[in-house]
Amino acid sequence: MTVRDLIEISLNNLWRSKLRSFLTISGVIIAIAAFVSMLSFGAGNQKYITDTYVNFGLFTNINVYPQRADDNDTVEVKPLTNAVIQELSKIPGVNLVYPYDAFKVSVNFADSLFFMQARSLPIAATKIKLFSNILDGKTFSSDSADEVFVTHEFLEKVGITEPDSVIGQKLVICAKASSLDSALVNILDDKNGSLGERLKAIKIDSLRYAKYRKRIMRQELNEGIRRFVDGFTNRQLSAYDTLTIVGITKDFRSRQINVAPLIIPEKKAAQLSAGGFGIGNDPLDLYNAAKAGMLFKTDENKNSKSYTRVTLNLDPYVSQEKIIDSVESLGFRVFSFAEQFKEIRRFFLYYNLGLAVIGLIALATAALGIINTMVMSIVERRKEIGVFISLGADVREIKIMFLAESAVIGAIGATVGIIIGWAASRIVSAVMRAIMERENIPPFDPFALPIWLIALALAFGIIVSLIAGYYPASRAAKVDPVEALRSE
Amino acid sequence: MNLENGWINTFDLCRFYQRGEHIVRAAEDISLSINKGEFIAIVGASGSGKSTLLNLLAGLDTPTSGHIEVEGIKLGKFSRRQLSNYRAEKVGMIFQSFNLLPNQTALKNVEIPLYFGTTPRKERRHKAIEILERLGMAERMDHKPTDLSGGEQQRVAIARALVKNPEVLFADEPTGNLDKDNSSAIIDLLLKLNKEGLTIVMVTHDIETADKIARRRVKMSYGKIVEDTSLSRDISI
Repeated sequence: MTVRDLIEISLNNLWRSKLRSFLTISGVIIAIAAFVSMLSFGAGNQKYITDTYVNFGLFTNINVYPQRADDNDTVEVKPLTNAVIQELSKIPGVNLVYPYDAFKVSVNFADSLFFMQARSLPIAATKIKLFSNILDGKTFSSDSADEVFVTHEFLEKVGITEPDSVIGQKLVICAKASSLDSALVNILDDKNGSLGERLKAIKIDSLRYAKYRKRIMRQELNEGIRRFVDGFTNRQLSAYDTLTIVGITKDFRSRQINVAPLIIPEKKAAQLSAGGFGIGNDPLDLYNAAKAGMLFKTDENKNSKSYTRVTLNLDPYVSQEKIIDSVESLGFRVFSFAEQFKEIRRFFLYYNLGLAVIGLIALATAALGIINTMVMSIVERRKEIGVFISLGADVREIKIMFLAESAVIGAIGATVGIIIGWAASRIVSAVMRAIMERENIPPFDPFALPIWLIALALAFGIIVSLIAGYYPASRAAKVDPVEALRSE
Repeated sequence: MNLENGWINTFDLCRFYQRGEHIVRAAEDISLSINKGEFIAIVGASGSGKSTLLNLLAGLDTPTSGHIEVEGIKLGKFSRRQLSNYRAEKVGMIFQSFNLLPNQTALKNVEIPLYFGTTPRKERRHKAIEILERLGMAERMDHKPTDLSGGEQQRVAIARALVKNPEVLFADEPTGNLDKDNSSAIIDLLLKLNKEGLTIVMVTHDIETADKIARRRVKMSYGKIVEDTSLSRDISI
């Protein structure tokens, strides 16, 4: 008996009890459809993340951070300075090292003022896969050019709906930076008066009284600190420049890639940002600088700026583990996208397993339907089994015939289930994309139907059906032909 | 009779059934020899053990004691597969109620025995059509059993039994469900097949029919052979 014969016989037998077969197959269809649509959601998201990693070349990038102070209290926290960047770029396998240098700016564009973040980027970095993709293959004419790339976030902020219309337009950028100098000057001279005036107000005679002395010390210390902080945050130095918009980044908002709305050439950014003053304009920068022991710079580190993060672009053919070891041995923390991707893959494995288990529970319920149908079928076709045996059928062939019938139920159910599951996911995807568009998120397809999922669903449908059909088939094989032929 | 030298021989064949506390002696001490080309009619009242004997000879049932030899080989020593092959290759069976598959055409019904083997698909169809033509059922091959008369259904059943060219045809009350004309037509067909060399063992409770067509009549009563008579007369068909 060939496979074709078995399929033909099975289809004929299922056709004999159309309603029962339809109901049984429906159970499998629903289970497989649920299985496919759930797993295709996992597969779609996994594909989307994988595509992001591949398209943006994240597998060949690692981020380096200073050690956390509480990681190891006994070791001094090394700042990420330009000297460190030089050191990192010498590690074999490191193609490029560039810092993350972002700062707040005010932008005068189309007669309106906007506040946003800007980041610096060296020309070399625009050529690596990540920024080459983001910048659509374009780059700056030089590291000190009066040029800027803007993102869709910028366009949204300034209310531009025709992206191409901004190309070539100019914007005035203003970066304010706090400095210790301005903070210290503010202690000496504040809008509430100079330090001399305050000192004059102190009653020298009364200083012999401890109570007065303590009160004055507290009062002056508090005032001194207030003036320092006020000077740091408000007495800022400003730098202005006019930049030409040379490009718009690709719309990557939904891709978990965070890029400041403005991307400025490295040297131009250095002129604008806190690079010239020592500390950024964020109070956190002050805290970090104080914590890193860099608040008052020595002659050696006076001109060295520290960064919160630097990115290393790596040679894909060099072991990433070795590079990470080298970086860590220099006393820095490393974040590897490749390692993160492994974690994501692990997450999706568990996620898909969880969904598969839910799908299998539905399939197990459908399997009970198959058992019921097949047992009923055997009871009804008892005489037929007897006839088959009298005509030379072996018990093994009888068993195979009934197993084939179960497999056909599973195959039909799985095939239709895959189609329905995919159709359902298409509908949900269309709704989700519509919502994304409404929410101004670049739409993407959160569902995918890879070949492995089709094969898995088909295999599950058939295997579970075969398991369900095993008991009825064994019963069919045990039918006594004499008794069966005698039955009506 | 040529005991122990026949094509099929049975030796002290017994088949007992346990029915509650009672033992039913369906066949007891049956020693029988069947030669090739014979037309044997096994007659007897209902419950005399005729069908039990037929099932034992066809390898569908296993004797409680005694044994059957086919071409000198004990049937009891056959493996499950060999027993299936014996039924498939050497034996053809027809029944009182025809036992055709109601949802299949006459042609498909005749093809069924060929599924259990290695006959290629095309040859299977060719053989089935050939036997249906031989039995005068070519015109009705695409009809389902419900569209056929009782006689036609039995012809299809005979075609199904003969499609693998068996050496012996076991017929269990083949005319039991047929009217006089159809019975007569089936009997004529069986006689024709026997004349062509097919060994036929037919169970019937109708002694008159048995005497009319068989060359040998075996009478059973309460599971035992009580008479084994050779009917040596010319049979005209």
